[in-house]
Amino acid sequence: MALKRLNRIVQLSHTVSLTRPLHGSGCGLQLGAATQTEAPMESPRAVFRTSESEPASHGEQHIGQFYTIPPSQVKTIFPHGLPYRFQQQIKTFNEACLMVRKPALELIGYLKKADPAHPSVRYVLYGERGTGKSLSLCHALHHCSLQDWLILHVPDAHLWVKNCKELMASSYHRARFDQPIEASVWLKNFRVTNERFLKEIKTSQKYIWSKREFTDEGRPLGEIVDQGVTRVKNASDAVGVVLKELKAQARPGSYRLVVGVDGVNALWGRTTLRKEDRSLIDPSELTLVHNLRKMMKNDWCGGAVIATVTQTGSVFTPSSAYLPQELLGKEGFDFLDPFLPVLVRAYSEKEFESSYQYYRDRHWIQHHTVDSLKSILCVSLAPPAGHTEEGKKELLFLSNRNPAALERLCAFL
Amino acid sequence: MRSIVRLGVGGVILRALLLRSCALRRSVSKMAASSGRVLKSFVQGCCGCSSVILPSIARNVILQKPAVTVLARLVCTSSTLQRKNIAAAGPEKYTQEFIKKQIEEFNIGKRHLANMMGEDPETFTQEGIDRAIAYLFPSGLFEKRARPVMKHPDEIFPKQRAVQWGEDGRPFHFLFYTGKQSYYSLMHDTFGKFLDIQKYQDRMRAEGLFSQETKQVNLIGSRWMIKEELEEILVQPISDHDCLRFIQLLERILALPYCSMEEEYIQRFRRALEVQSKKQKIEPLQYDENEVAFSTGEGRRKTATATTIVRDNGSGNITVNGVDYLHYFPVLQDREQLMFPFQFLDRLGKHDMECKVTGGGRSAQAGAIRLATARALLSFVTENEVESMRQAGLLTPDPRVKERQKPGQEGARRKFTWNKR
Repeated sequence: MALKRLNRIVQLSHTVSLTRPLHGSGCGLQLGAATQTEAPMESPRAVFRTSESEPASHGEQHIGQFYTIPPSQVKTIFPHGLPYRFQQQIKTFNEACLMVRKPALELIGYLKKADPAHPSVRYVLYGERGTGKSLSLCHALHHCSLQDWLILHVPDAHLWVKNCKELMASSYHRARFDQPIEASVWLKNFRVTNERFLKEIKTSQKYIWSKREFTDEGRPLGEIVDQGVTRVKNASDAVGVVLKELKAQARPGSYRLVVGVDGVNALWGRTTLRKEDRSLIDPSELTLVHNLRKMMKNDWCGGAVIATVTQTGSVFTPSSAYLPQELLGKEGFDFLDPFLPVLVRAYSEKEFESSYQYYRDRHWIQHHTVDSLKSILCVSLAPPAGHTEEGKKELLFLSNRNPAALERLCAFL
Repeated sequence: MRSIVRLGVGGVILRALLLRSCALRRSVSKMAASSGRVLKSFVQGCCGCSSVILPSIARNVILQKPAVTVLARLVCTSSTLQRKNIAAAGPEKYTQEFIKKQIEEFNIGKRHLANMMGEDPETFTQEGIDRAIAYLFPSGLFEKRARPVMKHPDEIFPKQRAVQWGEDGRPFHFLFYTGKQSYYSLMHDTFGKFLDIQKYQDRMRAEGLFSQETKQVNLIGSRWMIKEELEEILVQPISDHDCLRFIQLLERILALPYCSMEEEYIQRFRRALEVQSKKQKIEPLQYDENEVAFSTGEGRRKTATATTIVRDNGSGNITVNGVDYLHYFPVLQDREQLMFPFQFLDRLGKHDMECKVTGGGRSAQAGAIRLATARALLSFVTENEVESMRQAGLLTPDPRVKERQKPGQEGARRKFTWNKR
């Protein structure tokens, strides 16, 4: 019995020594960086985590490691921004852990180096389905938020071009259509994220909503947002106004604006919405889309535009399409040209290992030993190395190192 | 090329043989002859016919038509009585001369056939005959047993027992009146051998040379005969119980230390089991330009066919029709099917694979690729692993195909909605 336990401990340390080189080698690279709190060696199994929660100080040595976002920040920065499955994971694990990956680091690097005086650069994240484009976007936005930028986050542009229950003709422009519900929901979330800025930024002209309602010049932007939220009929127009103001006032001296749009190919694709005479609506005939398109132009300075192109959620696109050219179409590509493409790939060996260790740590993946008596006696010890390795190889094969596939696999394992 | 040869004797033979194959079709169901019925058919066949009494009957004559009549006077019978009850006559009886004649005709026909096909008559084997017949008489029938066949008469005509009694009516065998003479004589002989072994053992004990470590009969790779095979040897129907008793007696013999004395006798009643895994054809490994070993395999399932190339020194990259397997098979079940051969052999991250697959649906394609992969991996693997793969079912092609729809029904099994009126 005691011998068996000894064997198990030996096997455990063997496992750890196998995994250590993947993560531990990075420790040697940290020399001369200012804020050094490193990959903790306190418990040898936690090598996949880092206690650096500032994306600004994430570097090459953190690739593959998970960092935690404090719950308060999650509520303010990402009221609606995180993908649904990730939100469920946060609820399950009681923590929001994001993996530091190369595309996100690259993006953050560009953002740090970008000159506010130049016109805003457009970055487009692209990649196959489930490789982590949305979460990379969220990582970049977290960084921008901690650097005190104004965040304009459209979590999924595809939601604006399909399944709209109420579509009304726009009062401002006869040929366009409004989407009151989507607009008001977005405004609410926008308000949560950017409370501080809404009090500071002032409107530059008077806006008349209806015969009795108007907003004066010089009022804080918060009032426009409130107007949109309360008077749902004018929500889409309120959104348009907000966007226009922000764009006009984003100058090198004042705040820095980052526009994050997930699924930007929806703005130039097709919609599933129909008019009353059953003809399809073009995206340019929707107010929200029209205004957002104006934001995507690079005729303003002092900020950045980060977009992702996804096939998931898009309508009328084949599932094998993932390149920007295919998903944006000619019109969209010409509009966004020139942009900086950032490819997001599936996990590397190290990242996969890290993700696996994270799930094990959260007791999400568990290995049960075959002999029930053994499992009663050796509850606190790890199972034999054989089980762990085989299981990991199976997961690797079945998911082909794709993050979403791995997550779905582990969901019911 | 068909030889337009005037079929003289050969034609007669072949025609006769074709007729024989018709006879085979009819008598396929009634194979065993029984001696008890010979007596009955004697009497029945006799009604309404009068023929000369043959003076002497040889011991081993097999009667076809009764040669001895009982009646010498004409009896007024109606046509219904005279009509022969064919079913009650039992299976057809062939005489010894008849069989001998058939054998001669067969041999002559074989030589003619060899001549026709341009082969050497001396070294013309049964496979040659089969090929020649299949060529000269192509048949589209699905049932193989209904196609024209030319085999040695011993294989076609069922073995029948000779007449068991002499002209004085006295049976030849001393166990005739038990009813199952061959079976009981076999048991008698076998038990005699058992007693011989025991006597030998006692002698060895008396001389003090008795030892337990004697040569044992090797029973591995063979099985006991089944009832049908025993019946074939004895040319007599026996029951399951009889067969069981016989096998038990043989096993009792095997339990004795000196059973190797009668090993030959015992092996006569054992049939060899084929080793299944020897049937797998394993291709040798091939090497491509970069000295990397690879192997190909093909597999089919339902209507899907797949060909795979499995390469060594890989890292688990799999491409199906040029597309990554994660995108080609979004469903987990299909990917698990792909994984099974590698997982079974513990070679999960070690090979690269390229597959091409066409036809079928997603499940059929996955199954086809799995079979093809398993076959390709045979070249990389040891004999024992081949056997374990076979037992795991990785190498068995799945025979299930879509069942055809029958007329009068909506589908293969589903009937039309039943209406009372």
